[in-house]
Amino acid sequence: MKILSKRKISRREYLKYAAAGVVVAAGAIGGYAAWQSTRKPLEKEEIIIGVLAPMATRQGSVQRDAAALAIEEINATGGILGVPIKMVVGDDKLDPDAAVSELRRLVTVENADVLTGGYSSGIMAATMEPMAELKTVFLADASSPAHPAKVAEDYEKYKYWFRITQNNGASFAFDMADMIDMLRGKGVPVDKIYIIRDEHVWADDVEKFFNPLLTERNVEVVKNVKIPRGYTEYEPLIIEAHDLGSQVILPIVALSGTGDVLAKHWATLKLPVLLAGHDLAALDLGFWEKTEGACNYYIFIADGGVVQTAPPTSVCTNFIENYTKKYGHPPEAHQGYGAYDAVYLYKMAVEEAAKAGAADPLDSDTIVKYLEKLATLESPVELTRNIAFYPPGDENKWDHDLAWGDKYVRNWISEWIDGKWYQIWPEDKANAELKLPPWFK
Amino acid sequence: MVQVALKFPIFFNFLIQWKLKMIELLMRILVYGATLSGIYALIASGFTLIFGVSRIMNFSHGAFFILGAYFGIALIHGIGLNPYLSIIISILIVGLLAAAMYKSIISPVREHEVMVIIVTLAFALIVEQVILLTFGEHGISFPSVIEGVVIVGTVLIPSMRLFVLAVAIIALIMLWTFIGKTRLGKEITAASQDAEAAMLMGLDVDRLLIVTVFISAILAALGGVLYAQVYAANPFMVLKSLIFAFAIVILGGLGSVKGSIIAAFIVGYILTAVIVLYGARWSEFVALFLIIAILVLRPSGLLGVKEQ
Repeated sequence: MKILSKRKISRREYLKYAAAGVVVAAGAIGGYAAWQSTRKPLEKEEIIIGVLAPMATRQGSVQRDAAALAIEEINATGGILGVPIKMVVGDDKLDPDAAVSELRRLVTVENADVLTGGYSSGIMAATMEPMAELKTVFLADASSPAHPAKVAEDYEKYKYWFRITQNNGASFAFDMADMIDMLRGKGVPVDKIYIIRDEHVWADDVEKFFNPLLTERNVEVVKNVKIPRGYTEYEPLIIEAHDLGSQVILPIVALSGTGDVLAKHWATLKLPVLLAGHDLAALDLGFWEKTEGACNYYIFIADGGVVQTAPPTSVCTNFIENYTKKYGHPPEAHQGYGAYDAVYLYKMAVEEAAKAGAADPLDSDTIVKYLEKLATLESPVELTRNIAFYPPGDENKWDHDLAWGDKYVRNWISEWIDGKWYQIWPEDKANAELKLPPWFK
Repeated sequence: MVQVALKFPIFFNFLIQWKLKMIELLMRILVYGATLSGIYALIASGFTLIFGVSRIMNFSHGAFFILGAYFGIALIHGIGLNPYLSIIISILIVGLLAAAMYKSIISPVREHEVMVIIVTLAFALIVEQVILLTFGEHGISFPSVIEGVVIVGTVLIPSMRLFVLAVAIIALIMLWTFIGKTRLGKEITAASQDAEAAMLMGLDVDRLLIVTVFISAILAALGGVLYAQVYAANPFMVLKSLIFAFAIVILGGLGSVKGSIIAAFIVGYILTAVIVLYGARWSEFVALFLIIAILVLRPSGLLGVKEQ
């Protein structure tokens, strides 16, 4: 019997075995790390993304369809960490009660890992509660600064909320101030405006930011008219705006839903007063046909940071092309860009978490951490737009809100001209010149 | 007077300016209110006509109102029909649809008032959803059959408003003539006064009901087409128009066509006056509040038909 213990090992042999051991150990660690990064998280068969939006509206259907397109593209290249994505859909019917119960269903019955969607600020306020309770990341669309303020005031509770579209409650004010500057720069004397606005909380938020900007510019608001949902009697208002000497009728309307009637009445009366502001209806690709061309010369904010005739990024160009190929028409509302980006951003966050060795890369708290690390003000992520989130503790209480600015996302100034929707400002990104209506002198 | 004017020229000038301003405001209220009132009168008179003859609360009336506009738009954009022809065809389609709906859905449950309300309301909601899914939530304009503006003094009036008012008045006169002068109209009036007696006199009340439903739907559809000319067709008008039609009919007195027309003009003018004088946000609130107030003072409405 050979007694190994009695054999003497030379220093050279010892070093050889030690080196081999180190190589084997390093290989094992590397292999384990590689296995960790490619294994299916939590051994899930599928990752579930919930889309919660008003499906009878184009703002809702575009989010569903854009998310479906992103999911299809990602699944075609192996899903997220090798796990395919499945989409589940909830219809909030523009009703807070329906929205809350649909959110609960998506998370507790359909087992959604993450949510995207939203539209109305009022409904978003309601759905943030079950979102916080169920600790589910929600990459959302809504317009009010009240949502990030909630994140700021109780970060631990509401940190799961991120806005993937812009904080229009605040950013519209800056965009419309720029619109006034642009008009003045083009020789249009804007010192009196007539505001027609939604009787809704989101428009209150816009005014809070807009009024000081108007004062700075010495612009007088000759009248501020609040209109209820479905309001249609615009002719008396347009005549009054003219009588009061305003050069611009500035709409801040979305939920009234009757911007088409406003454009029609304005074009019928042909009074020397411009129509320039924010009107969600004007962002409808079919707006020209629906208004029978009455929207010609309507100047408006291109909500969402994308004018389809001038996409801001190459990803955006591809998205518009692929969407058009799949559905037979381009994205019908700006919320589609948000939903598409949300899916990709979530994928990136999960992969970053897995790469860093997170125990559960799908865990909501982990995703929050990696979303915060991923899309920062210093290094925005280029998707259909340049996405960055304001960090927790933001001075304006815009925590987890989409960053606004030339480097990030802005609502560019657009105009309907002879049947097409053009971007007219800023000049370096514009694909058309401002065109004033012939009746405006 | 001249001496006063010479003594206080600034004050006198102010008075004249104020007077002109008031005249302009009144003109605006008069014309704009009349358009809206005319449209309301069309939808409300149809609603009350059915109730008068059959005691049916047809809650699908708002659906017929807006379907007229959507059928017309579909005919124009779908098969390129000219606007005038599409108006006529869409109105006839709605009339036939209403008659078919009466025969297939309302007639079997006619004796149960609550059931009638439920099935007609359900039909209206289905129509609203179908429109939402087909055309989306935003409004669609009916291609204008007339364009431009007319200036009366210093008041701008879109020609379309005058056209709509003229068509509505002609339609209401035709309805009035039909009911009062034709044999069929008189039979409908007889059935509305006492259906049993009319039946005993040998009148085919069921046939009269179908004709009434057809006529009332035609009136609603015409209202919808005219509405979409001035404003835009919008799926939410299914319920909004129903609420206003119902409120107007109650105000005018259930079953009274004349009362409905008067009430339509009252409501139309209240809405417009409030918009012009106080602001858009209060218009519907004030109109509906005044309707309640009038009904408290006069529960049977302005010209209500007394139940036997």
